[in-house]
Amino acid sequence: MRSYLLLLLFAMAGLVVAFAPLPVLVIAPQERTFRIDARQFAYSPSELAVNPGDHITIQLVSTDVVHGLYIDGYDVSAEADPGQTATLTFTADKQGSFRFRCNVTCGAMHPFMIGKLTVGTNDWLLRSAGLAVIAILGVFILVKRN
Amino acid sequence: MKRSELLSRILVVAGMLLAVGAPLIFWTRTPLIHARMADTGGWNPDILQAEVGKPLELHFTSDDVVHGFAVGQLDMEAVDVEPGKVTDVTLTFDKPGTYTFYCTRWCGVNHWRMRGTIEVSGLDVDSETTPTVPLYVTLGIDIDAPHEANAIPENRPSAVRGQQLAASLDISQFSSPDFYRANSPYQIFEGLNSTDLTDTEKWDVVAYIWQSNTTVDALANGRELYAQNCVACHGESGEGNGVFADDLAAAGEASMQSMNGSMDMAMQTPADFTDTSCMLGASLALLEGKILRGGMGTGMPMWGSIFTEKQIQDLIAYLYSFQFEYQR
Amino acid sequence: MEKIELTRNPFIKTALKSRYPQLAVFIVMLVGYIFAILAGLVGTPVGSHNFSIVFVWIAWWAILILVAVPFFGRGWCAVCPIPLPGEWLQRGAILAPPDKKPKWLNRRWPRALRNIWLQNISFLLLALFSSVLLTTPNITGIVLAAMLFAAIGLSIVFERRSFCRYLCPVGGFIGLYSQTAPLELRIKDKKVCAACEGKPCYNGSAEGYGCPWDVFPGGLTKNSYCGLCMECIRTCPFDNIAVNARPFSADLAKPSARMDEAFKAFIMLGSAMIYAGVLLGPWGTLKDAAYNVGTTAWFIYAAVFLSVIFIVMPSFFALCVTRFENIDRFKKRFATLSTALIPLGLMFWVAFSLSFVLTNASYILASLSDPLGLGWNLFGTANLAWQPMLTSILAPGQTLALVGGLIWSGRTAQKAAKEATVSPVPVIVYCFIVTLAMLWLLI
Repeated sequence: MRSYLLLLLFAMAGLVVAFAPLPVLVIAPQERTFRIDARQFAYSPSELAVNPGDHITIQLVSTDVVHGLYIDGYDVSAEADPGQTATLTFTADKQGSFRFRCNVTCGAMHPFMIGKLTVGTNDWLLRSAGLAVIAILGVFILVKRN
Repeated sequence: MKRSELLSRILVVAGMLLAVGAPLIFWTRTPLIHARMADTGGWNPDILQAEVGKPLELHFTSDDVVHGFAVGQLDMEAVDVEPGKVTDVTLTFDKPGTYTFYCTRWCGVNHWRMRGTIEVSGLDVDSETTPTVPLYVTLGIDIDAPHEANAIPENRPSAVRGQQLAASLDISQFSSPDFYRANSPYQIFEGLNSTDLTDTEKWDVVAYIWQSNTTVDALANGRELYAQNCVACHGESGEGNGVFADDLAAAGEASMQSMNGSMDMAMQTPADFTDTSCMLGASLALLEGKILRGGMGTGMPMWGSIFTEKQIQDLIAYLYSFQFEYQR
Repeated sequence: MEKIELTRNPFIKTALKSRYPQLAVFIVMLVGYIFAILAGLVGTPVGSHNFSIVFVWIAWWAILILVAVPFFGRGWCAVCPIPLPGEWLQRGAILAPPDKKPKWLNRRWPRALRNIWLQNISFLLLALFSSVLLTTPNITGIVLAAMLFAAIGLSIVFERRSFCRYLCPVGGFIGLYSQTAPLELRIKDKKVCAACEGKPCYNGSAEGYGCPWDVFPGGLTKNSYCGLCMECIRTCPFDNIAVNARPFSADLAKPSARMDEAFKAFIMLGSAMIYAGVLLGPWGTLKDAAYNVGTTAWFIYAAVFLSVIFIVMPSFFALCVTRFENIDRFKKRFATLSTALIPLGLMFWVAFSLSFVLTNASYILASLSDPLGLGWNLFGTANLAWQPMLTSILAPGQTLALVGGLIWSGRTAQKAAKEATVSPVPVIVYCFIVTLAMLWLLI
């Protein structure tokens, strides 16, 4: 096969993997409540998994100093003083993996106080893995040709 | 030496001097009060001087986490002291004396130890201020002695029912502030033995007496004070299971002994306000004493220099609401 | 694609040859560097509001790893202020050489240390303490000052820029990754150099100093050790040195077979992955271990860190390249094929850095207005709220970087494998597996 045709084929495969809509498993949205303890410098639990469309309530409990919880991508946050539980509610309408982090300076390692929220499947990770596979196939074909 | 060389040397040296000098000069000339968690130093400096009538300008910054600043007994709005940022506060004092300033955002189990003093000098314009003796001292109550009630209600006493019952009774003696403050709910319950009410009904009347000595606003204020100052140890449910309860219990194992050499004043889990026997056996004077004086090594802070009298009364009224069902 | 000689352009040539533009940049950088030291030592201990942390680990790091290294190779070295005070003392002048008598001791760097192992070690020293270093202003101030004084000390004892060439932790990886950059400094015509007497590019002349990087420009075939200081362009009497734009990773077509460089590649690859897990992951215990220096947990963390870099990753790589024959051939093959990890490592660092840079870039404007945390508001931006930037492009950006890096490393493996007469497939599979791991850690 001619080089440029091959390149075109790979490019198209890449675009498909990157942008084609993935089948969405439709699960009826639920009400979910999580209690997250925050301490210097970690959340507990630090990984949450929910389904798309779920209505989420996070009860943030700070156990030592004032902490916050800010969710990347959703741009919502809450701040809790120790002892005073703060509540954050939102609807998980965006699918994928989102880090949540502390947005109230709480000491040295504050910028790395991070947790992960996964809504549905981590689509983007699957897509990038797929792209890596296509890339590697492309490289192998090039190796074979030479 | 060529002119360009000379010029470049001057520029380099000048630049370096500026880079070193400017931070040093500005840092030494900026009077900041640093706030740190109590374990690493607390307020620095922690003793300030002021004069009556002269505005005192203060500049605070936090070196680690979010803190707050307020002066006790002044009924001032607290300001936040944020890490890496500077907060300006101007205070003017009417009366001389020693004021206590304190941290208002919980910053660890030793947050309440983060205090300092402002010594205000000057003439006392009206010298009617004589120090008041706390009621528990006047009454001679030993606030460290156990205070269990001999009988407790089966259900949560309802002030609404109590009000209906009290309509047909003369309880003026019991509900007068003097009596109400000096006696525990249990003692008033006993005092009602002269009536022909059932035990449950007597407790309802006690609840009503307690409600009639406070207001909805006072309870709301008390709830607010509880949230800001007490909940971290005593818990949102009042059970003594706040976020620092475990730390306090653990510290109890290795804490200091009391002056008597015994371990009975060691750090311990915070009091449980849902413990009916203890709460109903405690008079307002006793609770006021505990709040004013603190726990003498148990980890309970002393609030005497911080809260005003009204704040303490409001807070105590709220504490009793863990036991009594008040009208909404 | 062919090379484009940038110095053909008279404006570029004058700008690079003249000492004045360079000096202006040097002065700004040096003043900024010293200010960062002072800010770290006397400013607020809160990292996010201190100039030293914000401008070193967010602003400078972002520019370094996202722009300077990928596009300009050792471009940062060209403007770095660290060697300057020592070099000026060494030369006895800031601008032109008044005479060629060497000042100070001017000793040759010891033969046994003429490699990048010291740089590997200095980078690892910083890396093991990175959680504390990146977040504590006074530690950053001390480290910056230490590097400055080390450079001055080395300049007084040894010749040329010994700190830069053999000790600087940053220079170690900038040099390695500069091989991928689309910029280079090379001679134009070999015959001219062959006929040249005295080699002033290396030995100095009235026009300038001999190469401070201890490189013979006439023999430059790779970017790794040329710091783009432009001294040779000033001294060459035949105008035989040029700065060229060229295709990416041109140097990787001629892989070096050095073990110190090979291990530098593993150090960078491994540390990017460990940082992604420890700093950007949700695992609090790891962060505690990394931060609490001196505790048992930290020793375990350090041991794991070092074994991943020196044992685990190289061992698996060794399996990919060994043909179970004599050790010398194996070492050569190992080092040659590790070249494939260079573009991969660079892209790992780009992907990792994108995350914390975009998350924390908002601190930069605020810090400009209040660099010391004293309550200033020089440009009105001191109270800008923290706000992550461009979060929607982060994951796609990281994917692009990592998958792009994978393709790049695959092609590099292919070319290096030809040199080493072995199949590149196992190495490509290795790259694929670590890329999947990094994707999982970051996305």
